[in-house]
Amino acid sequence: MNSDGNRPEQDTARLASADETLLITGASGFVGRRVVTALLSRGYRRLRCLTRHNRTPAGLQAALEPFPNANVEVLAGNLLDPAYCRRAARGVAVVYHLAAGIDKTFPGCILNSVVTTRNLLDAIVNDGGVRRFVNVSSFAVYSNERIRWGGVLDESCMVDTKVADRHDPYAYGKARQDDVVEEYGRGRGLPFVIVRPGIVIGPGKARIPGRVGIDTFGVFLHLGGGSRMPFTYVDNCADAIALAGLIPGIDGEVFNIVDDDLPRSREYLREYKRRVRRIASIPVPYSAFMAFSYLWEKYSKYSEGQLPPVFNRRICEIYFKGHRYSNAKAKTLLGWTPRVTMREGLERTFAASRQTGRDS
Amino acid sequence: MIKAAIVGCGKMADQHVAQLRRIPDAAIVGVCDVEPIMAKQLHERGAAGAWFTAVGDMIRATRPDVVHVTTPPQSHFELGTLVLNSGCHAYIEKPFTLTAAEAEELVALATRVGRHVTPGHNALFTHAMVEMRRLVATGFLGGPPTHVESMYCYELGADPYASAVLGDGAHWVRRLPGSLLQNIISHGVSRIAEYLADDRPIVKAHGFTSPALRASGERGLIDEARVIIADRAGTTTAYFTFSTSMKPVPHQLRLYGPKRSLLVDDDHQIVIRLENHEYKSYYRYFIPPLGFAGQHLKNLARNVARFARNDFHMPFDAGLKRLIEAFYRTISTGAPPPIPYRDVLLTARIMDDIFAQIAETPQDAASAPALPSCTEMRAVSRMPARCLRT
Repeated sequence: MNSDGNRPEQDTARLASADETLLITGASGFVGRRVVTALLSRGYRRLRCLTRHNRTPAGLQAALEPFPNANVEVLAGNLLDPAYCRRAARGVAVVYHLAAGIDKTFPGCILNSVVTTRNLLDAIVNDGGVRRFVNVSSFAVYSNERIRWGGVLDESCMVDTKVADRHDPYAYGKARQDDVVEEYGRGRGLPFVIVRPGIVIGPGKARIPGRVGIDTFGVFLHLGGGSRMPFTYVDNCADAIALAGLIPGIDGEVFNIVDDDLPRSREYLREYKRRVRRIASIPVPYSAFMAFSYLWEKYSKYSEGQLPPVFNRRICEIYFKGHRYSNAKAKTLLGWTPRVTMREGLERTFAASRQTGRDS
Repeated sequence: MIKAAIVGCGKMADQHVAQLRRIPDAAIVGVCDVEPIMAKQLHERGAAGAWFTAVGDMIRATRPDVVHVTTPPQSHFELGTLVLNSGCHAYIEKPFTLTAAEAEELVALATRVGRHVTPGHNALFTHAMVEMRRLVATGFLGGPPTHVESMYCYELGADPYASAVLGDGAHWVRRLPGSLLQNIISHGVSRIAEYLADDRPIVKAHGFTSPALRASGERGLIDEARVIIADRAGTTTAYFTFSTSMKPVPHQLRLYGPKRSLLVDDDHQIVIRLENHEYKSYYRYFIPPLGFAGQHLKNLARNVARFARNDFHMPFDAGLKRLIEAFYRTISTGAPPPIPYRDVLLTARIMDDIFAQIAETPQDAASAPALPSCTEMRAVSRMPARCLRT
């Protein structure tokens, strides 16, 4: 047992020992702080946590509190600053890169997802000691054009090469971020793993995920009610990310992270209404939304962007094609299993959302 | 056909590309950013031409007529100089330069080399502002404005740009001489400069950190400014307000004329005429509201008609397109520049004065608003004392 009462992982070979430094970018984020907890719980004592904030955010502070004897260095700064990246990368064994650009614009997402990643990779490659770079990406980078209705979306599926057409800056930024990581893997020998979580749920995410539908003009348009939601509970997701940095022999692999027993969209919404709050919703059939998306797309072009093409046929298909999702690869190669069941994860999420609603 | 190139491939560049695509006589021939990833992404997402990481290379390879400078303001002067010296016209995003001295030098250079330059004050060209200018040109006010009130406010809360500035102590915005104010207020100040007769007006500025920002632990960032501006001849006075604490966040201009006045609500693209009718007895409480209702309906009809013609777009985008088109007309036909150089320089001087005075404000005073004394205000505005009493 270590001084915090946690047992270091000694059962199997790990890429890093408990005394080596692990770097976590985006450490104060929704998933980032749970990755910090996941690593500390596994007995890793030396963490370097990067955050944009000058003061340690409350969420990260809370994550660190149960581990008073851990050696956690919180470095505030911006990954756009190469000197900061060099300081961050110095002497680390494993990097968990969770920092991402959440922005409504393409340049904002590129700057804060891709340029930052490239800066960090430059620093890491120059430092030379990193044994694994875990790039946290997203399901959003996949194209479902060639997946049949109801087909399985897994790691073998095609990454979207025309992601800009979807008018989804976040997905575009993440796709380019993956490209940069793979480039450094090929050209500069970077040992990397890519983790692509589905939709991460948990306390702190109070709103209904965008994949369920569109909340607009006081009514919720429910899209693709029969589709399964690629949810992963935040603690499960953090476990998978933590393992992706520690398991040897998986360099260059991509892992999709979704939990078991995924609910259908309509099941989720029904439970949300029952457990969190009543909302008016209208189920929109595929043909209606496809026609609407088509017209919107055409009008956007015709009007020279007077309405941006936020609704388009590509997006429509993501809502409706009713894919199934596989986590077999993560289970097999990472030895990961979701320790919080979907039922329990949803219950915790709904309880927190209900509380947030009361507080506000 | 005007060949356009863009240097600086951030968010503003996206907006320029979108509007340039709507202009039939314009073609983008190149985009440039010192960061290759940024240059490449803009090119990849549909900006025609080629991408570069050095402005000189781009100008040599593509020979543009005009270069749009959409980089952070610290590089505007240097890039503007390079562009003009290369024989291109320059559209430089706001704030035009860091100081009035730089602005004067850039305008002088443009004149010397026979090229045109314009700052990106697109807020002067929204639908409502154009309508207001048309009314002023018809003599609606009954003479030069006696007083101008420009409110140009900002919401710090939800905007990713604001979070970036607030979360990063070394953000480039913080390194501007006027910090956050400098990156935003030129839109509001330029609306006043247009109506001042004096090239060296009196400026009295007071700046402070808003209570909300102070509560978040922020000390160094001034996000509130109240400014009094006055012609030395006493023809026109102005108030300028910048605030991050007002809801809804106003972007308004009021022109008070000797006979009538105008209100421009840029947030809703509304122009309201304030007539000078006298109504007897209780009529004044019934007739004018009807008139205002009618005016609001007309504004609604105008906005809807524009939208139906695909000519509305978001007001600042529409303003950007209009300014670019007017600037290109200047280039191709020798028409007067859309923003007279005199107004460009006056805006820069007023901003210099504002930042200098706010910088001189002691930190303690900066954290709590204190208005200038009545004597000071009278001296500034040369208004009769009765006008200043509350």
